[in-house]
Amino acid sequence: MSASTCAASICRRHNLVAVISSQDDDILAHATPLDRAIASAHGILPDQGPIGVFVHHNTLHAFQHLPFHDGVQAGAAQLDARPYLDIHEFREAWQRGRIEDRDAADTIQRVLGARAEERVIFGVNRASLWFALLRDVVDEADDAGLQYQHSHGASRLHGATHLSAALQRLSTAPAHGDARARTPRRHRDALVALGATDTDVVVHPELVRLCAVFLDHGQAMAEMPHREQGFLRAVAHLFTTGTTEPVGCRGLRQDMLQVLANGTSASDVITSSLTALGVTATSIEPVLLATALALPGWTGMFSRLERHPEEIESPASVTLRDVLAVRLLYERRAIESACDAAGVPANWTQLQSKLAAYEPQSLHHEAWILAGVASSAGATPAAIGAMSDAELSQFRHEIDGIPLHTRRRLLHEAYERRYRREILDGLQALRPEIPARSTMRPEAQFVFCIDEREESVRRALEELSPSFETFGVAGFFGVAIDFMGLYDDAPAAYCPVVITPAHEVHESAIASEQHWHLKRSGLRDRWRAASRMVHRQSRTLSGGAGLSFVLGPIAAAIALSRVIAPRTSLAVADSARDKFAPRPSTRLSPLRPGDETLARSERGKFVGFSLDEAVDRVSGVLRAIGLTTRFAPVVFILGHGSTSLNNPHESAHDCGACGGRRGGGNARLFAEMANSAAVRSALHAQGIVIPDDVWFVGGLHDTADDSVTLYELEYMPVNLAPAFQRAHDALDTARRESAAERCRRFINAPLGISADDALRHVQGRSSHLAQPRPEYGHCTNAICIVGRRTISRGLHLDRRSFLVSYDPTTDEDAAILTRILTAVGPVGAGISLEYYFSSVDNERFGCGTKLPHNVTGLVGVMAGHQSDLRTGLPLQMVEIHEPMRLLLIVDATTDALLKVASRVPEVAELVVNEWVQLVSCDPETGQMAIFQDGAFIPYQPGTAPLEHVERSRDWHMRSRAHQPPAIVTSALRADVKSR
Amino acid sequence: MSDASVELVIRWAVMVAILAPLAAAIGVGVLLMARAKWIGEQAVAGAVTTALHISAIASLIASACHFGLPSMRAIGNIEYGNWLAVGNYSVPIVALVDGIALAFSLLAASLTALVARFSRTYLHKEAGFARFFVLLSMFAAGAQLVAFAGALDVFFAGWELIGISSALFIGFFHERDEPVRSSVRAFATYRLCDVGLLIAMVTTHEVLGSTRFSALAAAGTLPAFESATIAALFLLSAMGKSAQLPFSGWLPRAMEGPTPTSALFYGAVSIHAGLYLMLRVSPILDVAPLVAALGVVVGISTAVYAAAVARVHTDAKGALAHATLAQIGLILAEICLGLTTLALVHLVCHALLRAYQYLRAPNTIHDVHQHGHIEHGRMFFSRIAPRLSAGIYTAAVHRLRLDELIDRAISPVLSLSRALARIDARVSGITGSDSTAP
Repeated sequence: MSASTCAASICRRHNLVAVISSQDDDILAHATPLDRAIASAHGILPDQGPIGVFVHHNTLHAFQHLPFHDGVQAGAAQLDARPYLDIHEFREAWQRGRIEDRDAADTIQRVLGARAEERVIFGVNRASLWFALLRDVVDEADDAGLQYQHSHGASRLHGATHLSAALQRLSTAPAHGDARARTPRRHRDALVALGATDTDVVVHPELVRLCAVFLDHGQAMAEMPHREQGFLRAVAHLFTTGTTEPVGCRGLRQDMLQVLANGTSASDVITSSLTALGVTATSIEPVLLATALALPGWTGMFSRLERHPEEIESPASVTLRDVLAVRLLYERRAIESACDAAGVPANWTQLQSKLAAYEPQSLHHEAWILAGVASSAGATPAAIGAMSDAELSQFRHEIDGIPLHTRRRLLHEAYERRYRREILDGLQALRPEIPARSTMRPEAQFVFCIDEREESVRRALEELSPSFETFGVAGFFGVAIDFMGLYDDAPAAYCPVVITPAHEVHESAIASEQHWHLKRSGLRDRWRAASRMVHRQSRTLSGGAGLSFVLGPIAAAIALSRVIAPRTSLAVADSARDKFAPRPSTRLSPLRPGDETLARSERGKFVGFSLDEAVDRVSGVLRAIGLTTRFAPVVFILGHGSTSLNNPHESAHDCGACGGRRGGGNARLFAEMANSAAVRSALHAQGIVIPDDVWFVGGLHDTADDSVTLYELEYMPVNLAPAFQRAHDALDTARRESAAERCRRFINAPLGISADDALRHVQGRSSHLAQPRPEYGHCTNAICIVGRRTISRGLHLDRRSFLVSYDPTTDEDAAILTRILTAVGPVGAGISLEYYFSSVDNERFGCGTKLPHNVTGLVGVMAGHQSDLRTGLPLQMVEIHEPMRLLLIVDATTDALLKVASRVPEVAELVVNEWVQLVSCDPETGQMAIFQDGAFIPYQPGTAPLEHVERSRDWHMRSRAHQPPAIVTSALRADVKSR
Repeated sequence: MSDASVELVIRWAVMVAILAPLAAAIGVGVLLMARAKWIGEQAVAGAVTTALHISAIASLIASACHFGLPSMRAIGNIEYGNWLAVGNYSVPIVALVDGIALAFSLLAASLTALVARFSRTYLHKEAGFARFFVLLSMFAAGAQLVAFAGALDVFFAGWELIGISSALFIGFFHERDEPVRSSVRAFATYRLCDVGLLIAMVTTHEVLGSTRFSALAAAGTLPAFESATIAALFLLSAMGKSAQLPFSGWLPRAMEGPTPTSALFYGAVSIHAGLYLMLRVSPILDVAPLVAALGVVVGISTAVYAAAVARVHTDAKGALAHATLAQIGLILAEICLGLTTLALVHLVCHALLRAYQYLRAPNTIHDVHQHGHIEHGRMFFSRIAPRLSAGIYTAAVHRLRLDELIDRAISPVLSLSRALARIDARVSGITGSDSTAP
């Protein structure tokens, strides 16, 4: 890129910044501190809804208006979490070659620029000093550990003599000004620092129980009394029934009764409690925010449900203020008791002054770094001793210039850079091998969700025949619907969460099979009622006694079969059920008749689409993926979902584009509309000609057991049956191969497992009660490629890439690209960032190990019996993830991308603030450019040759580790067969 | 086969049922402590699971022999010699093989084996994998000892193995605070109540001359006061292990452990061990009607309390824990009323049901999708006395603040011991850690 275009991009960047900042408004400038604290709490608290429907999102969405590094550091500081992997994890990655020296060196060079070459200390330049600090120097801020290491003869890296010399020298040096400030955020922090009672230990168990019973929507048998009056009043009412207050909160009962008697509002309760604790004026906002973040899961659920009341059936209004008011009522009394007992004032200002403001910087720590720098620069211990005061202060200045969080940031960038190089070089190396575009009619086409888990199935299909083509589009297939399956109680939204569907679609049994349907649903209702009865009654006193005798032996038999033969026992039960009461054939209600008044559901929505709407949806998707000509005889439309047992996070494996649900209904609906003669003739008028010998087949791919269910095959024209059968056989092979590829990640499946064994293995996983890893879900996701499949077909991407079909050659003025990135950008970034945060700090951002998880109130899980509500992803879902920002590679020019960003603020925010790494891949030349520091920087590809393999299996079955890209030659054969 | 050889089979089966898991626990434990890096998940789980299956099969064989041959029904005590003998005091190693013992042994052995199989995949890749399996086989050995013990000394050894493994499982995730706090509380409760068993053991030996369960039949000859004291002490230790009021506070806290152990311990075996003790010593209850009556009161009140708490609990495992406790209370009452056969059947069936329900507890969300939403029901008396009903509700939510009650009850003891420690430190001039305590 020339200097002028570079400048142009920077100008554009300013436009982009304007686009982003125009979103913000300054209503809050005039608000009270309380309102401001509440508003920031709403932003920062976890934004996860009830766990039955799990939607991935950026854990630190409240910080997305900041550049990535500033945002993660600010957010992590606010939540006491880690912003990046730990420094030792990075160094371990460096040692095993996951980071190469040049990645670190280049990252340092990019940040330092001209300052890199200046000589700083012991005759080395700044870049080398930084390099040494990144690679070698142990940064433990833990004093005791350093002292221990020193007294036990230093370590592997630093000679003992170096360390002694450094200690010697520093002990005579003037005191260093840099000291760590100790800033308690609220009373509890100060009390803990003073060695007094931890008030959270007093307040939290109580609060957790109260939050749980209030938010419960159907797990407990009895409902909280007075729940309809909101949390504050309901809790206060409990105190009218003779409840005692907890020991550590003397006076609480009176407070609660007064709140009830005076009808005090939550805001007033908050203010008066804070005032009582001496929190006034400027300290209100930070203290209140810290208070809200003390129990983030439960408090966050209140915040979420206040903003999304539709997510829970509750007679009460759920508000953040209520939960904070209750919390502060408890906390005030707990603090007063604790302060009394410890003999310190409860007044916030006075309490803070009791703490020493600073802890002095440790001498050991500094000596450690000095010794490390000296030894890696080849300086002798004597040289350390000989340092002048001026040199020492220069050294200190240099070290201050690269504090710990900067070191981790640089290592993180190097970590990403290594992977980015691999992928971009891979794409570049593939380019010369792309076969000429075939003019033959493809044998079959498969449209999948963009999900990276489908990458392996698509690759497997493409390896089977050059005449199979695959596409990727967001898995709701452009039809945003409230879908009600045959046996659903109520319709639910099957579309991205930002959309509210205007249409309903119902599944109904066909007329000739109504009797089966009635029989089956009658039996089903009775079975369900019995299950509910058993579930509930077995937990009561009398019911439990009675049912024990009957159900105990049965339960033992079931438990035994479910544990010993999970797959078979489930299959036997299912097939027995289906034999006894077969599932009827069904149809959807895709198109509605012309009469508008007839077609409204009870909820006031259209049932089915009008012809125009249907045409619009079908053409939208076909144009987006670039499938407007050369239709194969059979086009598969495959949504996805996931089945697993004993897994509260089951929904997190479902389709994000369907709002955390299964995309089968959407796929089926799309296929049915695309098969409709009326729709096709209207499409014809728009220039999309779907020949009569083309049939769309909707289906559902289960990503846990790798089954594929296809819908409405009975309506397929018979002359297409042979073509369908060939394609179906291929799909069957591909799903087995894909299962085998998944299995290489599971240590208890042998590496190199055969395709058939693999299918059995994953079926076992999906049906096993004792399986915390039914599938790895989005784990390892790293890339999103938006573009023609030709630029990535034949490249082994290790199930790590979202694949979005987009044809830049037919897209005028980037209109289609705008639509695609508006949807895919935030969704892809949301998934990638949720995995990022849950894996860098699984305890804080994620929900820890699944083993002690305890489903609560149907809203979420606790770890154990009374913990915070745990949000984010469990350890078992992220354990093999590499936390990186999504590498978004788009088959479009830099201009087109800037155009899109200037139109869509959400995309601009992600790109300009670098929450995704955007790469433009020029459709004509293949030249790539990375968006960095506000502009597209051309990428110079490496020249190392890429490994070629005949089949994917030859590549990925070599190890269980992450595999770099390789070229799979069987997917690159030219289609010479004429049909 | 002759009776003698069948008896020999039973003799060996009982020994194998106890020793197989014990050997696995010790073997794997020693290897782990020697930091043998080469023992991976497969080896650990393989060794323990095999031992547990052997134990279950041995228990099955013993049961088959016992129930299959009428002549074996009255086999009674099997002597394995003395553990130690000092003067006229001896600790006999003796097994008591009867219907009750075999039922409990079979229940414990088969469920432990099942849970071991379950946990092979469930705990895969977990940091404490090996620790889990060592503790599991330690527990299995303890459960078999308790089941087959023919004398209180042997019983006590098993009882303690169950207790320590239970506490360690509660604190399994010791990197968080709450599990450790809960583990300590459970352990403290166990210790407190085990004092009962210990004193009962010594007293029994003193007054009856033997700690054998078979000797308890002679309890009728004792003065009423003595038999009542012994019975009350047994009841105390059973109340601790089976979480009866007022010692119920540790039970919900025990849900901190991994789900399979919650199933095994608090759904099935450990929580029923207290009842098993009462079944074993039921002859003495017959001659101590006051204590039996007390047991009925404790059992019924625990049942009512737990049923109320189960009604308001919103978490899957906590609700199950209290639903279990309600039945335990009922069974205790049954035993104290002398309905031992009913109690035994109730115990076994109930344990099987709860074990399965616990294992499925994480499936709650999936189940609700399957069987539909359950509407909230009502609290007791909500129609006739809404205020009373709300009061019960609140009391149930806070679980009667039992933990605070216990804390308050033992706080004088704690203060006294702290004061003594301070004096001790001052007198001896040694600065112990307690001297700095407030």
